Amino acid sequence: MIILQALVFIVSAPFLSGLITKIKNNLRMRQGESILQPYYNLAKLSLKSEVLSETTSWIFKITPYILLASSLAGALLIPLFIYPAPLRGIGDFLALIFIFSLGRFFLSLAALDAGSSFGGMGSSREMFISSLVEPALCMVVFSIFLQFGSTDISVFCGAHQITAASLIGAVALFLICLAECARIPVDNQETHLELTMVQEAMILEYSGMRLAFIELAAYIKQMVFFFLIAQLIFPISLPAKGNFIGLLFWGLWYSGRIFIVALITALVEVSLAKMRLFRVVDYLGFAFLLGIIAVICAVIGV
Amino acid sequence: MQEITLIGILISTCLMVVAKSLLALIRGFRWQSFFLFLATFLIAWKEAQPSLYIIAGLLLVIKVVLIPQLLYKIIKKIKVGQGLGLFVNTQLSLFFVLLFAYLAWDFSSQLIVYGSHAQAGIIAIALFLVLVGFFLMVSRITALAQVVGLLVMENGLFLLASAVSGGMPFFVEIAIFFDVFVSVVIMGSFVYRINKFFTHIDVDKLSHLRG
Amino acid sequence: MFNLSANFIFDPLSIFFIFVILIVSSAAALYSHGYLKNAYTFPRKVFAWVLLLIFVCSMLLVVTGSNLLVFIIAWELMSLVSYFFVVFDFQYNRSIQAGMIYIVITHIGTAFLLAAFLMIYQAAHSFDFIALKDACHLLPMQTRNTIFLLLLIGFGTKAGIVPMHIWLPYAHPQAPSHISSIMSGVMIKTAIYGMIRFIFFILGITSPWWGILVLILAIISCLVGVIYALMEHDIKKLLAYHSVENIGIILLGVGLGMFFVSMNLPYLAVFALVAGLYHLINHAIFKGLLFLCAGSVCKATGTRNMEKMGGLIKRMPHTAVYFLIGAMAISALPPLNGFVSEWLTLQAFFLGALNTLGGTKVFLGICAAMLALTGGLAAACFVKAFGIIFLAQPRSQYAESAREVSWSMKAGMFILAALVIIFGLAAGSIVKLLIKVSAATLGVDGSALNLSAYNLTLNLQALMPGPVGKDSYLSLPYLAALLVILGAIFFVIYRLAKRKSLTYKTWDCGYYKVGSRNEYTATAFSKPFRIAFSFFLFPYHKTQKVRESFYHVKAFSYETHTTPVFKKYVYYPLLAWILKFARLLRRIQPGSIHLYLAYIFAVIILLIMFINKF
Repeated sequence: MIILQALVFIVSAPFLSGLITKIKNNLRMRQGESILQPYYNLAKLSLKSEVLSETTSWIFKITPYILLASSLAGALLIPLFIYPAPLRGIGDFLALIFIFSLGRFFLSLAALDAGSSFGGMGSSREMFISSLVEPALCMVVFSIFLQFGSTDISVFCGAHQITAASLIGAVALFLICLAECARIPVDNQETHLELTMVQEAMILEYSGMRLAFIELAAYIKQMVFFFLIAQLIFPISLPAKGNFIGLLFWGLWYSGRIFIVALITALVEVSLAKMRLFRVVDYLGFAFLLGIIAVICAVIGV
Repeated sequence: MQEITLIGILISTCLMVVAKSLLALIRGFRWQSFFLFLATFLIAWKEAQPSLYIIAGLLLVIKVVLIPQLLYKIIKKIKVGQGLGLFVNTQLSLFFVLLFAYLAWDFSSQLIVYGSHAQAGIIAIALFLVLVGFFLMVSRITALAQVVGLLVMENGLFLLASAVSGGMPFFVEIAIFFDVFVSVVIMGSFVYRINKFFTHIDVDKLSHLRG
Repeated sequence: MFNLSANFIFDPLSIFFIFVILIVSSAAALYSHGYLKNAYTFPRKVFAWVLLLIFVCSMLLVVTGSNLLVFIIAWELMSLVSYFFVVFDFQYNRSIQAGMIYIVITHIGTAFLLAAFLMIYQAAHSFDFIALKDACHLLPMQTRNTIFLLLLIGFGTKAGIVPMHIWLPYAHPQAPSHISSIMSGVMIKTAIYGMIRFIFFILGITSPWWGILVLILAIISCLVGVIYALMEHDIKKLLAYHSVENIGIILLGVGLGMFFVSMNLPYLAVFALVAGLYHLINHAIFKGLLFLCAGSVCKATGTRNMEKMGGLIKRMPHTAVYFLIGAMAISALPPLNGFVSEWLTLQAFFLGALNTLGGTKVFLGICAAMLALTGGLAAACFVKAFGIIFLAQPRSQYAESAREVSWSMKAGMFILAALVIIFGLAAGSIVKLLIKVSAATLGVDGSALNLSAYNLTLNLQALMPGPVGKDSYLSLPYLAALLVILGAIFFVIYRLAKRKSLTYKTWDCGYYKVGSRNEYTATAFSKPFRIAFSFFLFPYHKTQKVRESFYHVKAFSYETHTTPVFKKYVYYPLLAWILKFARLLRRIQPGSIHLYLAYIFAVIILLIMFINKF
């Protein structure tokens, strides 16, 4: 079951990214690349040979493994289609945050390893953004905790009532997700302009299969966030047994809600421009504020 | 008899206050110590305490003979002028001293509620001696006057101790005598040193050393 | 009268602190063998060893004395010996200056402590802790509040709580590195011991505002410490500021414990105190480790300035690994020990919020969020530290010529690095032990709090009597295993794929040469933070151009600084005020003996007149 969940994540995570890109392109009245383009990219990268910078050290070499391992480990903590999650005993929501930050820590180090200014720039900005994300994320977790009485992810992933607290929490989590997954108002995945890039600047020196690992890790992390947001807004219970049609509809809705989040992301990306780096402070401050409001709602019991 | 000795102490103290030269000051101190010796001797006789006799004897030897002798010697050695150097002139000093006498009397009469009248007088005079000693230290410029002032204070304390409790414990008394003697010797040599370095013994001018 | 058992105390709390002191100091002692070599003459080496011995003994006395007198004497001894270490390199002016700041501030703290002790003593008329404890419970509210505040200031000064932290970034870096590691790792923890011993154990907690005050101070310490650390480019000063931050995190646990005690939630109080104590021992280990690594780096390069380092991972591979482990731990990354204690502290906040009402919930939540922010900033700071010091190319001749340090230094670092990992993986058993310590300190039966050794399952039914809640899980060994297995799988995949790999220069945009001058600097790295926190840091910069002509700028220099807020707006005005007062006082000190005698005389006369009046 664990392996199945891991495989589902690895297989379906790039699809989400391709979907977002496709929606964005269509909204911009373009034909756009295929939805499967991320897979092609990954395959292409895996087949290519690799160039390593001569200034780099072992940190640079092991980072992709750590990053991908941490993303996938985080993904295994959430109950994708099994209740409770197969590895629930390993960690809770807080642990998930810290596991993701483990990968980020190493990626930022690796960015500094090659010794180019781009890497440093990306590393510095990434740590800046992620450190401001932490309090907002913590607030969201706290609001969820107040509603469900535990930081265990499996607890709130079942069916539950949609409350104001969880809705506002989900909005805050969505803002955080945009920042964490290098999406538009915070970062732009489509550009390689040194003044604006964050994530792309960090992985500039990577190539070949290691780059594929890093990209895959980013896809998985994005999917984890989408799943959590979807779970907060559209809670769903387990299907009734036996009924095949019911099961099918359940499955459609189960994955469909994640696509809805992806759709919203695409809409946001199309309609907004990237912010200046220091506006991100206000942006994440707003997310933090939403988190506080969610907590207050949870305290009142709305 | 005791009253006479006490009056003697008073008068000799006043003599010290009006003294304008070092020699006169030391002479006054000698008289004071002598009367103090008499007073102690009388107390010893009245209370028939052998240890007080010994103390009285020591008083005679050290304070009446040795210390003044030593001071004279120092004066001769350092060849200073005879002047004491007054901050406060003698008339005003006398006025102050009278004020102190009143204060001391007032204080001792409050202190001794049940004690005898004579004892109150002794305490008043003892306190008076302490105050005057202090006053001498404050208002006279030369370092030797400070030494004498200290000795006067010590006399006052001695008188107080012997009046209130028939003397301090014997060994303490002996120790104090040696203390005083040694301190005078040390201070004497200090004064000598100061004179050698600064060619004067005006304590007032030490303030030039301040940073 | 001197009776061993009457003057010393060996309860679980003391034993816990003895353990903390001994592990860090033994590693530091081992390390110092190599560190002192070739750096000092033989007599100074002997002196350093003797001082180290006295230092460790005095700390042990502090945590075992069961008598106010023993405690205060040991406390003073500890301060004095550490002062000697601060001025150990007395040939530098800054050592003397740092020592001055240290000794003055530490004695101000001791003065507050003495005041508190005297008040306690007056109540008990005994110096013995047990007697004091009984007496303190009878004290009126007002007195206890006063004593609490005095103790908080006194111990807070030693612990380095903001705004009394001012000495810490001066004193700790100035001592030899093995002592820095003991001072930061252990010495400031004795202040936490004092707080726990005197506030929890002796004074007894009555009002909720005590805990809340400590929490607020702790949060401020966390943020201020980490923000200043981000701005710092002196590696040892950076670590010293992180001590301020981590003391804040420890105090979050301790303050939360106080709060729960006053809210009558004994099990939660035990749990919060466990979180605090766990972070205490973790910080002792990883901060000790980091200071030792910093010492190695400084010894190898001969500078403390990070901007002059770089590329040391290839020249000092062992030190780099140890520093990385320490940096990961202090950044609270799983599966190392810092993560566990931070997780416990956050859980303590969350669980506390379940048991309180209304606004308190929001307050606790915001505290937790600030703790998370601190964690994020700390991670950023250590990315900066490790990246700038160890990665990329050497930035100066110093770094170029660095060599790996000797075996004893490596051994000292290895012990602590191993402990970092052990304290992460064995979290379950350690929490069990700490529950015993904390329960004994609070006088609660801790056996109801059962956690399994491999999982940190928070059994809520045991922790709290009433409210709803479900268990939360964390299992460090499994988590570590998961990460390692997944990483290994991808490594194997990579190896099996076996693509061609070639080494080439870093991409240079077609420019002909990328050198160390193109690398990102520590100053540049921290720039976003400097701007984001400009409301607190007040950064300013100076630029200077040397021109040959109007059109040709020959040289250009750029400096950026941050305003030391506490120094400028708290300490300088205070100092100016004291100096002014002292100048006034000097007027009555003209140096004339007669005048001084006259002062005394006047006082005597006044006294006599005063007595005559009554």
